Amino acid sequence: MAGISWHYVLKFIITGDSAVGKSSLLIRLTDQRFITNPDPTLGVEFGSKLINIEEQNKVVKLQCWDTAGTESFRSITRSYYRGAAGCLLVYDVTNRTTFTNARTWLADVREHADPHLTCILVGNKVDLCSDDSSTSASGKHREVPTEEAELWAKEEGLLFVEASAKSGQNVQEAFEKATRDILDKIQRGVFEDDRSPGVKSSRPNNNSLTLESSKARGTCCNT
Amino acid sequence: MEFLSQTYTALRGPTSLPPSLHPPTQSSLQTITKLTDRLSPSTLLADRRAAILTLKGLARDPRHRAEVGEVALHGLLGVLCEQGGDVEVDPEAGKGVLETLGVLCDAEGEGEELAMRHTDLVLAESTSTDRLFYLLAPSQPQPPQQHQAHALPFYTRYAALQLLHTLLKNRRTVVQKYFLKASSGPGAIVGLLEDRREIIRNESLHILPPLLTSSPPIQSLLAFSGVFESLFGVVTNEGGIEGGVVVEDALRCVEAMLRFNGSNQAYFSSLPLPKTLLSLLLFPTQLQQLPAPQEFSLQFWDAQKAKNASLVVSVLGMLVGGGKKGNVSVHETLIYSKCLLELALSSNAPTSLKIQALPLLPPTLPQPLTTLLLTPYLPVPETNGEEWDRLEPESVAGVLVELVVLGEYGGILGDGGREGLELRAAGATVFENLVSDGEIRFGILQSLLPSNAPPHPTPLLHALSTPPTSPINQTTQTSTHFSTLLFSHLVRSSPKAKTLARNIKSLHAEGGEGGGLFVPADGTLFGPAAGAPPVKAGEEEEEGPETLLQLLSEYLSLAFLERGRVGSGSGEAREWDRLICAYLSLLAQWLWEDSKSVKEFLDAGGLGVLVEPINQTSESDEIVSGLCVFLLGICYEFNREPGEIARSTIHPILNRLGTDTLLGRMSRLREDERVKGVSPESIVLPYPHTVVLRAEGGGREGEIWFDWAFVDFFKSNYYTIQKGLGSDPNSLGSSTGQNVETAMLVASLREVIKSQAQEIENLNAELKKLSSGDDKESEHVQQVTTLTAELRSSEEKRKDGEKEQEDLLVLLDEISSKRRKDKERMKEAGLEVSEDEGDDEDEEDEEDEDEE
Repeated sequence: MAGISWHYVLKFIITGDSAVGKSSLLIRLTDQRFITNPDPTLGVEFGSKLINIEEQNKVVKLQCWDTAGTESFRSITRSYYRGAAGCLLVYDVTNRTTFTNARTWLADVREHADPHLTCILVGNKVDLCSDDSSTSASGKHREVPTEEAELWAKEEGLLFVEASAKSGQNVQEAFEKATRDILDKIQRGVFEDDRSPGVKSSRPNNNSLTLESSKARGTCCNT
Repeated sequence: MEFLSQTYTALRGPTSLPPSLHPPTQSSLQTITKLTDRLSPSTLLADRRAAILTLKGLARDPRHRAEVGEVALHGLLGVLCEQGGDVEVDPEAGKGVLETLGVLCDAEGEGEELAMRHTDLVLAESTSTDRLFYLLAPSQPQPPQQHQAHALPFYTRYAALQLLHTLLKNRRTVVQKYFLKASSGPGAIVGLLEDRREIIRNESLHILPPLLTSSPPIQSLLAFSGVFESLFGVVTNEGGIEGGVVVEDALRCVEAMLRFNGSNQAYFSSLPLPKTLLSLLLFPTQLQQLPAPQEFSLQFWDAQKAKNASLVVSVLGMLVGGGKKGNVSVHETLIYSKCLLELALSSNAPTSLKIQALPLLPPTLPQPLTTLLLTPYLPVPETNGEEWDRLEPESVAGVLVELVVLGEYGGILGDGGREGLELRAAGATVFENLVSDGEIRFGILQSLLPSNAPPHPTPLLHALSTPPTSPINQTTQTSTHFSTLLFSHLVRSSPKAKTLARNIKSLHAEGGEGGGLFVPADGTLFGPAAGAPPVKAGEEEEEGPETLLQLLSEYLSLAFLERGRVGSGSGEAREWDRLICAYLSLLAQWLWEDSKSVKEFLDAGGLGVLVEPINQTSESDEIVSGLCVFLLGICYEFNREPGEIARSTIHPILNRLGTDTLLGRMSRLREDERVKGVSPESIVLPYPHTVVLRAEGGGREGEIWFDWAFVDFFKSNYYTIQKGLGSDPNSLGSSTGQNVETAMLVASLREVIKSQAQEIENLNAELKKLSSGDDKESEHVQQVTTLTAELRSSEEKRKDGEKEQEDLLVLLDEISSKRRKDKERMKEAGLEVSEDEGDDEDEEDEEDEDEE
């Protein structure tokens, strides 16, 4: 890490029912690996990643907070919505309930988050229903059709993508898509300076650092 | 006060009845009830305010506090929780309500039970804490000019903060639970930390620790909300680590948010803040091979700054430790480690800070640091730490050896008491970790060999070959002790290292008595030892250069001799015992599994040296005789080289001493406090008071007997020696334990086998694949043959058919010509011939066929 090499820092939260693969998505994004049986997240876990948005020629540092999907942590999770710039709302394409519950998650997000928050709906685990041969090895099959999810996302004004943390398909794309949208909002001036707690540009950081390093005092020497 | 008493009288109503009919408690209860009634929103604001203030006055009085709590608490909470109510509108009333609640819940002093009861009532539901967080939260972002207007008046805010603090002190977990659910909680904390009024900011620093304690969710939530940034804002505003107790509080909060919270550590290290930590210590944030700047190495230190710096160091330590889990990049771990290393080894930081920094270094130092050159500093004597000499750059190992053997700053400021010992012990552990890398270990040993002898002897070898002097010199003794510790790190469980070490020659054989001055500023300390024993001088002339091993066994016997002279119980006797233990434990680790060294030791007269103290135990310390048994056991067990003293020579001696007695000695050593008290973290033991009293001018606070490596070694090999002592001289070695190198060899061979097996498997699979290809091919060939056969047969059939067809045509031709003749004959015979057309057709057919 040579100096500060990003233009924006964006806070992301990842939310959705338990066991839809939120932590796996994050680990796939940050470490490019897949863990088969992660323990359920308690509270929150943090991960960060630099991504490059080429069209805008911007390097963005994503700070991702992976929240617990378990009901008992829900009230804690809510506290995170307010400070986030982006949200990944995850469901499991092989589990219809997780998709229906996405509505309540979205309601929660809408209630607590900044109105300009960018939310992307992510259908995870598409690897389990590749080439649509109804039942794959694991006995899982698709329960949420792409078209249906896409339609709902459109109605609610969400971005949408189907991804797989296992194969890595569309994972980075999901984050990039949301990031592009946020950068777009920044350019359009949706966030006036410092209005969204989840967006920080790198400039103030640079300033504070130079201030600190120039403040060198307290030496007592002669050699 | 006049106002209060007036109100009080007014509220009490006309005093028509004589006071005797109104017991005071009765009337105060009535008063409180009346006052409580006035808290309702329907009353005029001024009356409400007066009622609140009177209640506050009554609550302050311990006699009325219970009543106020019982009657008025709910009313007060009502006032507090009313949206847009008094608390927001009227500063006086708001402050009054909050303070009254604070008084009721204050558990300081007497009435703790009552305060707890009140606290439980206040915290019965989350409404009151939600309200407090709301009041503390900065108002929603507004244009600047309105911002001020919206902020609560100072005293209301301060009183709310204090009430929250009281509640947290009394019922932490409940408040924590509510905090997590309160929507304005995190915002409130950030707002408080960024408040421009110092009192509020400082008070909020006191609220954070109880709020954070053992609640990772809160720690993470606050991190998410930007509390790290706010805290560092406080630190830098206050002037960094020189900023006094406020900085300490802020850094303590940072530490509490990171400790035991992996997620927060990962987040924190992704921020630019860790670099701020380095710049707080004035350490450059970019990694360079150059020595650290002087403004880092030499600073003015006071107690508060040391405390603040200690927190910074502790956070850096967490980041270094976090590198193992992949939270911190290798590059950054390197910078943090380098900072800790420089702080500990080449700076004028307080000793306590150095003791803290050394163990935080990663067990295996990242590559460039092992070869890093440091420039240590030495204080110029009698300048009161104001002037410093900069020494020549030296390797990490070299600086460590000097630190451990000579003490901080080469010992010129004295041995530093217990702290000094702890620092040296911490340095020894780092050295141990450093030489666990074989290359460095062998490199150091090589440099001690006579062929590579440096122009002036290294402190390590010098201290090892300094003969014990009588009366014992504490400083020299400690140096020798630490050098035995270091040397045992070099030779332990490595046959190759032991072989190298056997070739090291003593200094004195070549260079005479203690001549070497290795640290320029340190000449006085290690000048020629005054009381060099006469025994030494005589021996030197007869023999050639002595090996280090011979020298050590000689010093051991010398020490025993001196120890015998001193008599037991005195402080000096204890010093001698300690020195003897140092030699014995080094020898034990050296001779273990090394028959050549055992032979050399026995040839140098080691057997007699060991047997004597075992034999006469009345006087000596039992720990010494125990160690002697242990070493004797090692000598017996590993005496496998042919020589003058064979196993069969030792066996009768063991029998005469009695195996049971020997084992008893060893088990007493194992049970001794000085062995049991050693832990991997700390090897410095408190100096026993009984001895301090008897010691003349000893003045020690701590002492070192064994290090953890030896205790570990002793405990794990205890049973081998126990068994070995009882075994027959002709039996084979009872130890089956492998040393590290063989274990590594086995492991690497296993690895080879494994990879070969893997390869074989792969080849097999490939072979199978190929052979299955062969099968297919033969199948194809077969198919081809059958197909050709079929083709041939069908060809034949076709030919047959053609031939037949030709025959038939010929036949037809014959028939038709015959028929024509018959017809003509019939015509000639006058018979009627009918089917001319048919005949034509036939002819045509024939023609067709001919054409074909």
